[in-house]
Amino acid sequence: MAWRLQRFPSPKPSVAIAVRVAAIMLALIVGGVVVAVSGHNPLALGGQVITSTFGSSFGLEDLGLLATPLILTGLAVMITRRIGLWNIGAEGQFYAGALAAAAIGLFVEGPAWLMLPAMFLAGVAGGMAWITIPTLARAFVGVNELITTLLLNFVATLLVYYFATGPWRDRGAGTLGSTPRIRYEMPELWGMVHWGFAIAVALTVLVAAVLSFTRWGYEVRISGANPENALYAGIPVRRRIIAVMLLSGAVAGIAGMLEVAGTVHRLQGGISNNFGYLGIIVAVLARTSCLGVLAAAALMAFILNAGIILQTQGLTTSAIVALTGLVLMFTAIGDEFAHYRLVRTDRVTA
Amino acid sequence: MDLITGLLTTAVLAGGVLALAALGEVICQRVGVVNLGVEGLMALGAVTAVAVTISVPNPSIGFAAALLVGLCFGMVFAVATVLFRANQVLCGLALTLMGTGLAATVGRAFSGMPAKATFQPVIVPYLSEIPILGPAFFSQNVLVYLIFIIVPVAIHCLMFKTRHGLNMRAVGENPAAADAAGIPVLAMRFWYVSLGAALAAGAGAYLTLAFVPSWSDGIVAGRGWIAVALVIFARYRPLNVVMAALLFGLITALGYVGQARNWPVTPALLGMLPYLGTLGFIIVPVIVLHRMRQLSAAPAALGMPYFRDVR
Repeated sequence: MAWRLQRFPSPKPSVAIAVRVAAIMLALIVGGVVVAVSGHNPLALGGQVITSTFGSSFGLEDLGLLATPLILTGLAVMITRRIGLWNIGAEGQFYAGALAAAAIGLFVEGPAWLMLPAMFLAGVAGGMAWITIPTLARAFVGVNELITTLLLNFVATLLVYYFATGPWRDRGAGTLGSTPRIRYEMPELWGMVHWGFAIAVALTVLVAAVLSFTRWGYEVRISGANPENALYAGIPVRRRIIAVMLLSGAVAGIAGMLEVAGTVHRLQGGISNNFGYLGIIVAVLARTSCLGVLAAAALMAFILNAGIILQTQGLTTSAIVALTGLVLMFTAIGDEFAHYRLVRTDRVTA
Repeated sequence: MDLITGLLTTAVLAGGVLALAALGEVICQRVGVVNLGVEGLMALGAVTAVAVTISVPNPSIGFAAALLVGLCFGMVFAVATVLFRANQVLCGLALTLMGTGLAATVGRAFSGMPAKATFQPVIVPYLSEIPILGPAFFSQNVLVYLIFIIVPVAIHCLMFKTRHGLNMRAVGENPAAADAAGIPVLAMRFWYVSLGAALAAGAGAYLTLAFVPSWSDGIVAGRGWIAVALVIFARYRPLNVVMAALLFGLITALGYVGQARNWPVTPALLGMLPYLGTLGFIIVPVIVLHRMRQLSAAPAALGMPYFRDVR
């Protein structure tokens, strides 16, 4: 009797999840070793992170606040994965949504019940506008969306920086890098956590339902799995690509709007906090599952929060960026390993 | 005339960063692997160069150290993507995060400190006296000559004039056929991916040793991604890459010169030029030259891991 490794086209769900957990643990262990080598006690730091995150309502509120944008940017990237594309530009769409929402919040006056929806729509429009060129280039001339969406991130960052330090600068307060406070605020849901959190969760469930249970969602999946077959079956692949990409941009734009209206209350350079890029990791960890997005965003929020706590201990947030990279690489490797299974080969057939 | 010389000088300096990183990416993609970690590798190279020259004030040693660091991280990436066959897009993004995060963490200690030793201009006799072009092209530092002439020509000759280069391209086009012909597909991919990564880190070192002589977080500023885009724009050919890099250097130079001369455009807008330029240059040709879509120059097996034993 002999054993050999055989590769299967799709991994067993149980194996896939086990490998995921192992990969994340392994990445954290490697990170811990690096921390230990640089002269800190990783176990003490880890304990501190856990107690200050889960030990107080303050820590849990922080978690909810951080998870909100991560759920949405993760959802934005995940949606495009369903049709086999990569939106690496959630960062830029986040900025565009924040910029558009801030423009409405700063320069239009009205009652709060009207202004918040107006800002929301502006966020949607901003995010969609920012992904329009990559969308059209992808749908009509087949230009790879990976690089086009990404390049626009830098343009959006510079644009927001320009407005926040230039024409919209808060002239009264003497601060250089941000606009005045925006009066229209997302009401609070629980402690510091605003209604944006509920919106993010609801939107995720809604998108999950649409993608899983409607004909449209089915067509999106087929278009992603095999465009030629989809076209042959009469699915307008190009229109599905356009719709999915614009939806993705809109979701990322909403994340930007919520950050302006709910958390930061002003537009400033660097407002996105890398949420767009971290959304890629959330989407990867979630695979193509919408509910996975919620879990992955929670994990990512925990890691980010850990970064903030570690900062008080003399470590930098950049170390957390490096750690997330490590998590991503181990996950990618683990995902490939999950395809393999030990199979027994009988002597009779062999 | 002064303006044009200034523009060209800056274009050559700025383009060199892109050219070296993109040359590394060409090697990598020609053997069939997309490395999206260029941005992170450049950050690592940049910080290594500064760190090393602070203790050993010799730019060549700093540059060599950056190449070595790039090689090491390239090997990690190659182990993941070539040997373990993990998803190349994910691993590339992971490498970018790891590289930028690590570089920022390590580099915090000497942020804003000037590099102790940088490459000084080497003036080529006679040629540098050519009006307008001379100062721009023939009184640059030694890396510029290396990046614009020696390395691209060497890579071009290797790839298109030798049997080894033919094998290399076969690995990127049809790894199964190459394997059947006895070419060591995985070894070839492994080493060229690592070598390409070393060049990307070298581009980062060029950034701090010859262009902006000090480290700051965010110094790479998307140049790694522009380099990746440039490879597509240059249709995977090393000599085209150099010309394209020069073109993009010119766009960047326009921004710098505009800022220095107080052109009535905001610096933020001038700063967008390289990104918008890249965007235009990858979209417009595809629309104008409709046929280019069918004649995609990308290696056929690009991005696909090779399994010998999958049946």
